[in-house]
Amino acid sequence: MKKVEKEVADRYFRTRTTLIIIFLGIGFLVSFGVVAFAEFFSQFTFLGVELHYYMGSQGAVVIFILCLFFNAVLSDRIDRKFGIDDEANTSISNGKTINH
Amino acid sequence: MDGQMLVSLGLILATFALYIGISIFNRAKQTSDFYVASRGIPPFWNGMAIGGDWMSAASFIGMAGTVLALGYDGLAYIMGWTGGYLLLTFLLAPQLRKYGRFTVPEFIGDRFDSNPARLIAAIATIIISFTYIVGQLSGSGVVIGRLFSIPAMYGTMIGVVIIAIYATLGGMKGVTWTQVAQYIILIIAYIIPIVFMSLQVTGNPLPWLTYGNVVDEIGAIDRELGLSEYFAPFAESDKSQFIALMFTLMVGTSALPHVIVRFYTVTTMKAARWSGAWALLFIGFLYLSAPAYAAFSRFILMTQVAGQPMDQLPAWTDNWINTGLLEIADQDGDGVLDWTEIAVGNDMVVMATPEIANLGMFVIGLVAAGAMAAALSTAGGLLITISSSFAHDIYYRLVNPQATDQRRLKAGRIAIVLSTVVAGLIALDPPGVITQIVAWAFALAGGTFFPVLFLGVWWKRMNAQGAVAGMLIGLGSTLGYIFLSMNGIMLFGIQDTGAGLIGVPMNLLACIIVSLMTAPPAQRLQDDVIDLRYPEQMTYKDGEVWMNDGTGK
Repeated sequence: MKKVEKEVADRYFRTRTTLIIIFLGIGFLVSFGVVAFAEFFSQFTFLGVELHYYMGSQGAVVIFILCLFFNAVLSDRIDRKFGIDDEANTSISNGKTINH
Repeated sequence: MDGQMLVSLGLILATFALYIGISIFNRAKQTSDFYVASRGIPPFWNGMAIGGDWMSAASFIGMAGTVLALGYDGLAYIMGWTGGYLLLTFLLAPQLRKYGRFTVPEFIGDRFDSNPARLIAAIATIIISFTYIVGQLSGSGVVIGRLFSIPAMYGTMIGVVIIAIYATLGGMKGVTWTQVAQYIILIIAYIIPIVFMSLQVTGNPLPWLTYGNVVDEIGAIDRELGLSEYFAPFAESDKSQFIALMFTLMVGTSALPHVIVRFYTVTTMKAARWSGAWALLFIGFLYLSAPAYAAFSRFILMTQVAGQPMDQLPAWTDNWINTGLLEIADQDGDGVLDWTEIAVGNDMVVMATPEIANLGMFVIGLVAAGAMAAALSTAGGLLITISSSFAHDIYYRLVNPQATDQRRLKAGRIAIVLSTVVAGLIALDPPGVITQIVAWAFALAGGTFFPVLFLGVWWKRMNAQGAVAGMLIGLGSTLGYIFLSMNGIMLFGIQDTGAGLIGVPMNLLACIIVSLMTAPPAQRLQDDVIDLRYPEQMTYKDGEVWMNDGTGK
């Protein structure tokens, strides 16, 4: 067991949380944001259909999926930067989980 | 029995045999197999299993029809049901996985160290899951009933028997791998017809790129007929209702116990993040295709069926008129069927597409097998959830904590069989409109669980009193608003299906206010919450974070 400086541990948590807020913000804008101003977006067209309809039927969903994958990749990168080893995670998790 | 029936029956029986084979191969031997598949499912396959678990008969059969009927306003379902995975994967799943329990009520009971909270959560889980499963069983009954021209009742019974067999045998481990198989079958069955339709209508096999132009043309036809355009926003409901419905579906999705429990089956927080990403990708294949289904079907109906003389309609229209899902009447008596004289049932669109586009017997049978896969995979996941609430949370954690592993496995199996039978009996004579009841399940899940889970993993000050108050007030205000709005009393034009926008904030406020007014939780429980900020290798203990680098304790 090695002690982690409070500053380092806090930085890990802050970085991860910032990432989550950014991605949730993007997700909120492309769904609720576009719906709230649907009339405005209907003046543009994309792939042959008005933009508010495109965003609802495809755009928002595709962006949601991208957010999740970017988050998974970036989080892995952050873990590595902080010296987290995934195999150690797995074995610790197996030992700690409550399987009663 | 004609050729079509034989082909459909053969395909469905083949898939049933596959599911039962998988669950025999993955027989559950211990309780951790039975409830969380030994926590060893790789994220990619777990994502696929979440896809099968999540996409129900309503998604498969009904969603394209909803978009067809509602136009732009139907897209609240598409964004709401996919956006929930954002909330789930970012805010709940990894932390819940690190906390490492079997069920959602168990997390609530242990995190707040409160048996009343555990019991309330277990009962709410059972109510929500039961509401949902009745819809699945009725759905599978409709599919079998329509195919073989037997009453939907017998169809339901056949579905019940199949699910009970494989869920009892395999537990979560068996259900995981059957859900993977069911996902693959249902997505192939969903995509094949639409690729052919896209080829027929636009000459391009990629419907996702081509249907935009079709939507535009539909709008032009609407304009000529003097109707509001298909893609016009808020033609069927208020903007406030659109937003409330989307919010309810998103928050409800992220708080459904049978979905959350799938994240317990992987190894780590990292694996939970990747599961969420894969899951939404696999779910996205279907949800991105549903609006295309709606557009092509509507286009074909508008251009090839509407405008025909009444005596020259395509043959498939007769079959669907007989089921009551398609209504046509020459109201103006000019001998020609106009678009405004056609009423298309929501549940008909996907099932009828292979006939409308003339794709042949095999595809029709495949779509039927896909619809069954969608209904059975969701029902399987729900049954495990109901059974674990009874056998694990209520029986083992509250009634008899000394029970042996063998006894608890047996209790779990008995609970599955009993809940299947009860759900089957209710589904024989379903109370009210299924799609509406399923929508209520989302409002209830979000209103009861989301704030409690969210604050439970992020806010250490949250305590048992807050959790109990939050769940009860959330459940009460959601139910109350559903009843009020059904009787015409509405706030800001929000209908019963958008009740989550009322219940979730009420629950959140109750959690925060009551927690702050009562004593903080024990230091041990607060430390557990801070520990959830870090990956497994880092442990929070007595105000310090320790990294486990394998050099002794």
